[in-house]
Amino acid sequence: MVDVLELAAGNRTDSGQLVIALPKGRLLDEARAYLERAGFGLRDGENGRQLVLPSAAAHVRYVLAKPSDVPVYVEYGACDLGIAGLDVLREAQRDLLEPLLLPFGHCRLSVAGPAGRADRPLRLEPNPRVATKFPRLTEAFFRARGVSAEIIELSGSVELAPLVDLADLIVDLVQSGQTLADNGLAELRVILHSQAVLVANRAAWRLKAEAISGFVAKLRRTIEE
Amino acid sequence: MSLESSRHAQWPLPQGVVDLVYADAVNKRGLETALRACFHAWSYDELISPTFEYADTLASEAGTQLAEEMYRFTDRDGRTLALRPDLTIPAARVVATRLADQPMPLRLFYVGSVFRYEAPQAGRQREFTQAGVELIGAGTPAADAELLALTVEALQAAGLGQFQLALGQMAFFRGLLAELEAPAPVLSALQSAIDRKNPADLAAVLDQATASEPLRRAFSALPQLNGGPQVLQQGRAVCVNPAMQAALHWLDALVELLAAYGIVHHITFDLGETRGMAYYTGITFKGYTPGLGSSVCSGGRYDDLVGHFGRPQPAVGCALWVDRILLARQRQGWQPASLAPDLLWTAGACSDCLRLLLSLRRRGLRVELDVTGADLEALSRRATSQGTPYVVECRGAGAVALRSQQGTRRLTLDELAAEAAAW
Repeated sequence: MVDVLELAAGNRTDSGQLVIALPKGRLLDEARAYLERAGFGLRDGENGRQLVLPSAAAHVRYVLAKPSDVPVYVEYGACDLGIAGLDVLREAQRDLLEPLLLPFGHCRLSVAGPAGRADRPLRLEPNPRVATKFPRLTEAFFRARGVSAEIIELSGSVELAPLVDLADLIVDLVQSGQTLADNGLAELRVILHSQAVLVANRAAWRLKAEAISGFVAKLRRTIEE
Repeated sequence: MSLESSRHAQWPLPQGVVDLVYADAVNKRGLETALRACFHAWSYDELISPTFEYADTLASEAGTQLAEEMYRFTDRDGRTLALRPDLTIPAARVVATRLADQPMPLRLFYVGSVFRYEAPQAGRQREFTQAGVELIGAGTPAADAELLALTVEALQAAGLGQFQLALGQMAFFRGLLAELEAPAPVLSALQSAIDRKNPADLAAVLDQATASEPLRRAFSALPQLNGGPQVLQQGRAVCVNPAMQAALHWLDALVELLAAYGIVHHITFDLGETRGMAYYTGITFKGYTPGLGSSVCSGGRYDDLVGHFGRPQPAVGCALWVDRILLARQRQGWQPASLAPDLLWTAGACSDCLRLLLSLRRRGLRVELDVTGADLEALSRRATSQGTPYVVECRGAGAVALRSQQGTRRLTLDELAAEAAAW
């Protein structure tokens, strides 16, 4: 607890300290490996359950957060920087800087439907029921085609929805397409090509300019290598 | 559920508005007073404009986003009114109409609530207070410098020690944008990519707009053009027309003046700063302070806004977000003054006591007279719990008991008056 309080106070007053939000789950392993190569590797806590972790560099600390929470932590300035998937970022529509695309976490946000679905344009669907974890991007996609879709927001296992006739279509992340195929679904349209992005808080960008530009420069060099 | 909490549920507040009481109210008024004093010392005069006006007036120059965020309602004669979303537009209207024949430049300030129907995002309320200044009728770098120096002074008067102003130049960006022939959605995607400093999106939009190589270089450089005054030198390399060169010359002159004011260390130059009110035509700036992820003030030059309402005047202004400053200040460890009364007094109907009590109040002591018939013991318990240092009980015939840290003593009213003079 003391460590957390000290973290909050230090982050406010010391312009050399950086607190960086990392997404738990899909992106974490690749993010860790990449940060390690850049010289900012994570140092695990003793019990492996700590949420605030030190790094190989004394001025950098990490916070592990749920992926969709990363943009929130950074927008409010609780963290100076964060790593998030472009999919999560566009869905969250938070007011952030996006200074660097990172070379991992590639996937697609796609519309998928039953593999046996008749081949016709999505814009001819009268009122499709679409299950997704990405309601904003889904609605924007269908609205741009003049389709009034019924968005069914789920928080997991979206590909189940067409199987039990909860939805006609789904919008979900696709990496290899294997999960879709296993569930008798086919990818119909790509909404967004996603990858990991470094995001920055607008105030921290000014107030911690030196520390942040040093960090970003090292990450950029690591990509170029 | 307790009775109390069910009452809160019965009389809820709409989202985005707050009740302030005790230290929160005192802090806010105190900050407003400090800012008024600062503006006054720089020879700015207060403008008190109406809370609502015709929606057409407010929406005309506000830019689409602000216009969409206005609270609108209908007057009895069927005309649409709106709560002001901003205080610069009313100021521009007043200057162009009622004050059009005044000798220029005019220096005006305001402190008041503005109303925006905003999606809940970091630190945003729907009613919030802005304190701002407008310098109208002077289209010079000196006017911009005064505004920036006054903003620095106001943030210091507000109790913020550490802050940075990110200074952009809309004329530089517009000069570059004028070279690109592309449909409006492409241009706004371009502005958005630059605003987010996203190099990949920027490259994609430039592909779409089929920008020439020199333009491509210039646009791609924008997100990197931020830092100290050397940025202006780097900006020169991407100039493609006289408008952009003139915009940089303006900043050169401004830097010299900012150095004279001794405030260059508070300024970060950012030629990729492309957001802000649609009416900005020259410099734009936003202020940031530790403890808050969003800006605490924003301002800029708006040479075309006044002319929309009547006689044109160049103008530059800045609005400070009072509520955000309060939040940042609190997170930086600001200690508000105590609200506990200096003195609790139980006097009954003793006119000698009441006379002394009134004279102490006139001297500025915060004195609370008991109206419940409590005795010295009961008052002392309250005093201890709320941090009031002195308790007085009338003992009749010009005598009182004074309870303080030194214990309880019997004094005459004259002795009490003499002692209280030192509190």
